[in-house]
Amino acid sequence: MLPVSFRPLVSLSSALVCVLIAHAAQAQAPAPPPSWQQGRSAEQEKSTLHPFAIEVTGKSAKLLPVDKLKVPAGFKVDVWAEGAPGARSMAQGDKGTVFVGTRQLKDVYAVVDRGDKREVKTILKGLDSPNGIVFSKGTLYVAERHRITRYDGIEGSLDNPPQAKVVVDGLDPQKQPGHFWKYLALGPDGKLYYNVGAPGNIVMPAYFQATISRVDPKTGVVEEYVQGVRNSVGFDWHPKTKELWFTNHARDWLGDDSPNDTLHRVAKKGTHFGYPFCHQGDTLDPEFGKNRSCAEFTPPTLKLGAHIAPIGMRFYTGKMFPAEYQNNIFIAFRGSWNRTIKQGYNVTRVSFDEKGKPKMEPFLTGFLQDEKADPPMWGRPADVMVMRDGSLLVSDDHNGIIYRVSYAKK
Amino acid sequence: MSGSSGYKGAAAMFAAALSFYPACSALAADGAPRKAQACVTCHGPGGNSTDPAMPSLAGQPAQSISLQLFMFREGNRKDPQMSPMASGLSNADMNELAAYFSRQKPAAPSHRTAPENTAAGRRLAEQHHCVQCHGPALLGLQHIPRLAGQQFVYLRTQLRGFRARTRADFDGNMTAAAELLSEKDIEILADYLSGLTPPRD
Repeated sequence: MLPVSFRPLVSLSSALVCVLIAHAAQAQAPAPPPSWQQGRSAEQEKSTLHPFAIEVTGKSAKLLPVDKLKVPAGFKVDVWAEGAPGARSMAQGDKGTVFVGTRQLKDVYAVVDRGDKREVKTILKGLDSPNGIVFSKGTLYVAERHRITRYDGIEGSLDNPPQAKVVVDGLDPQKQPGHFWKYLALGPDGKLYYNVGAPGNIVMPAYFQATISRVDPKTGVVEEYVQGVRNSVGFDWHPKTKELWFTNHARDWLGDDSPNDTLHRVAKKGTHFGYPFCHQGDTLDPEFGKNRSCAEFTPPTLKLGAHIAPIGMRFYTGKMFPAEYQNNIFIAFRGSWNRTIKQGYNVTRVSFDEKGKPKMEPFLTGFLQDEKADPPMWGRPADVMVMRDGSLLVSDDHNGIIYRVSYAKK
Repeated sequence: MSGSSGYKGAAAMFAAALSFYPACSALAADGAPRKAQACVTCHGPGGNSTDPAMPSLAGQPAQSISLQLFMFREGNRKDPQMSPMASGLSNADMNELAAYFSRQKPAAPSHRTAPENTAAGRRLAEQHHCVQCHGPALLGLQHIPRLAGQQFVYLRTQLRGFRARTRADFDGNMTAAAELLSEKDIEILADYLSGLTPPRD
């Protein structure tokens, strides 16, 4: 689990050397804990907190309390599609097809309307964690664990998809543990942006890890865009300022209320957001934060709550919702698990006052059934996408269901 | 199930399934899906196996059953008997079978733990994090299977497989947990777990 190479600009602090020595001394100790347990304190070793696995075979909406889902007055939520196990990132094609990636399966789906029947087709199989999906100018881009590929003209041949063409390969040369799945988004500069997550809960990242990076699809040349990002699996550009905004998952096992998962704005390429030294802009890591200062790093725009696991985020640019929703952000909260009393499991709206101060409020709720139960929820929002008609799709990878939130004027 | 029990062949399986016909009406009254008939040939009536190499399905968490069926169908797990059985199952079939077997009452285990392995087995289960995921009473939850009262040879085969990295692991947890088990640890753990009585309600 130790990183093979360290970021060259980071000198080995004495704390880190101690960690290395400690690891070496433990060589004959009991089996190493799984990656999600990494970073627990000795007192936490008996903790029963654990991540929740998705239903890999999907679950029918008929068996779920979908009537418990709640949206603000004037809005309506429906089951839009089901039978898409592990549904994560979504992208809409030119002809209306909704493409859906998966993280724990190997499939990419296309959701198509045929007459009055909506069909979920598996169009790509056998991929390696095809979590990230982008559609642009007739081409579907897919981010797998180790590569980004393109499928040209795929929407016209869903029954016989074209061969993958490689945009860039070799993105995971060490088969890293931890956060190896990738989100994908197309920037206003025509480049594809993707995350390379940290290789564990709290570990020193290696070269290119804990970053958002980008690749020019014309040349395949990659570059690091921002660093110190533990794992971002949702980003979008502000419709007016064209700045990148992203959600980030903070580390686990520091308690129920700390640190917060966060929402960030990128003003400048090369910004460092703190991981693994400083969390949520103001909390030094007990191990890696020694002899460091949070002042060195760029703080988040908004603290979203501890362990709520923000995944997909999009600016609302549609015409269906009331005017005050314009350029607001919708974020899917897929957690929490690393917390004794659970919270999250909703789609949250972030709006801004005239001074640009962000405010958040739950928008789509009802997935969280019992905050003390195991499991506490029956569904987990994973990504959000604004449809061309202005409605909002929400994927639920736990059940393989996609919901649609629409607004009807009173 | 990886490789410990003999390959009986798909034809023999189906013949056996058909010969099970007298039990069909009873199963049907119990709300058994038609496709469960093929399962009970090896996994025992109601999913209570009497073969030490064959896992019991009765009372297992539904998600743990559908996950394993999925892994057999997708080829993550390979087994001469289970792979062909799972290959023709849809997601809906898997969910239906999982729901049915999870509703069945687990039988009291026939395995008797060697007295010297009771405390040693418990110690190993705690030391190697078994209780962390499978629960303090090792009853499993969600996608994690119940180990209490599971068949001895089956448990031993799985642990050996995880340790050798030949048994597919959904999330890497079992591979990490089994990595430093000795052959003797595996023997003791399987003996301990197999003799635990699962609750019947």
